[in-house]
Amino acid sequence: MEGGGGREKEEEQDGVSVHSPCKAPPSSASSLPKEQQQVELELRLLEALEIYPPVKLRGMHRHFVLYGLMEFLRRSLDRQFSPDEVLQLLDRFYNLEVLKPDDEEMDILSHEEDFCLPQSYFVKEES
Amino acid sequence: MGSSSKEETATDADTSSGDTPPSNSNVFSEGERVLAYHGPRIYEAKVQKAELRKKEWKYFVHYLVSIKGKQKSLLWLGHLANSWDEWVGADRLMKHTEENVIKQQALDKKQGVDKSSKSGRSAQTKPKSSADAKADKEDLKNTVAKGKKRKSDSGVEKDNSSMEKLVKIQIPSTLKKQLVDDWEFVTQQDKLVKLPRSPNVDDILTKYLEYRSKKDGTMTDSIGEILKGIRCYFDKALPVMLLYKKERQQYQDVVLDDVSPSTIYGAEHLLRLFVKFPELLAYVNIEEETLTRLQQKLMDFLKFLQKNQSTFFLSAYDGSRGSEGKGKGKDD
Repeated sequence: MEGGGGREKEEEQDGVSVHSPCKAPPSSASSLPKEQQQVELELRLLEALEIYPPVKLRGMHRHFVLYGLMEFLRRSLDRQFSPDEVLQLLDRFYNLEVLKPDDEEMDILSHEEDFCLPQSYFVKEES
Repeated sequence: MGSSSKEETATDADTSSGDTPPSNSNVFSEGERVLAYHGPRIYEAKVQKAELRKKEWKYFVHYLVSIKGKQKSLLWLGHLANSWDEWVGADRLMKHTEENVIKQQALDKKQGVDKSSKSGRSAQTKPKSSADAKADKEDLKNTVAKGKKRKSDSGVEKDNSSMEKLVKIQIPSTLKKQLVDDWEFVTQQDKLVKLPRSPNVDDILTKYLEYRSKKDGTMTDSIGEILKGIRCYFDKALPVMLLYKKERQQYQDVVLDDVSPSTIYGAEHLLRLFVKFPELLAYVNIEEETLTRLQQKLMDFLKFLQKNQSTFFLSAYDGSRGSEGKGKGKDD
């Protein structure tokens, strides 16, 4: 997608690219499961991105989107992910700097309204 | 499936010959203002002509789409551009009644909120409201246009709503009372929160993080991210939706340049954010499980506010107007 071409090359030299999941370096047998893990991780990440579009990582919702990604990965891979870890993973696919916040957000923010306490708050109820 | 209702009228005769009494279907008259389904939305339209074709009433409608300055409807306008006027069956039309206008607005709202949730995942939680909106249409369709689908069906079907899964944030009752007092001070007594506040929103968030890490023994990443999210929402939302009208001038005076409101305002305004929280979160298509967890964490934060209510919140607001933030005004 947008940008990030340079990084992809780096990854390929490490032998952990998504593009060659089947070719393990012949010398090290131990790297095979590692590579599979990597592929698994990237697949899950792409799944997560279907729910949480990267473009939302640029706007006011970014922290909750990132939280959503962390939670998704935690659940599907059964381990904790830090925000930085997720961002680094994303960096492989996207150049977040280039993404523009979507206009939906502009919509919320351009529409100024006065605060209004919902009627339900004025009803006395204990719970 | 049918591309245009016009072409299909020829084949309709076979399927709907016996059971469609034509008299019963001419419910709309020429010149009548109606509401018409087009794509996922309902638009105002005017019936230009009504014709009985193959025992079925067809209406030539002209869409009356007003531009309300909403970018989203503009997207749809682009789509509409080729079909400002078209022949449609009665199944596409509704009477222009108050009730139906409400349906229209509900759909509009839903479309707006839901623009970006393409994943079919949420389709399983079919929104009741849109089903309702369709329910009576469904009846009409069965009698009037049996075996025929209006072309926009898929559009309406896809319309699933994140409104439906609005996160519920139960605000503790003493904090609710706080919100009512806040309302009373500002809107009824013409008083203001004296700014800057101490502790400010940033201080409170930091205190909570400390409290949480002490309690859990570890610094949890997810809490940190949520707190950042709260801060970000607060800064963006404050001028747009968290101020009473009477507080706007004060905002202009106090929040200068790129100062972050979270360093100036305090618990009083932060609490208002939680009233708006579900609305804001609806823009993020969060999965059910995650939403539940998030909800719990937000409630835990609210409990923390409640526990510290007496130190975080002002018990009296500043009565002297015109002393915004400068502290030169005398208290009564």
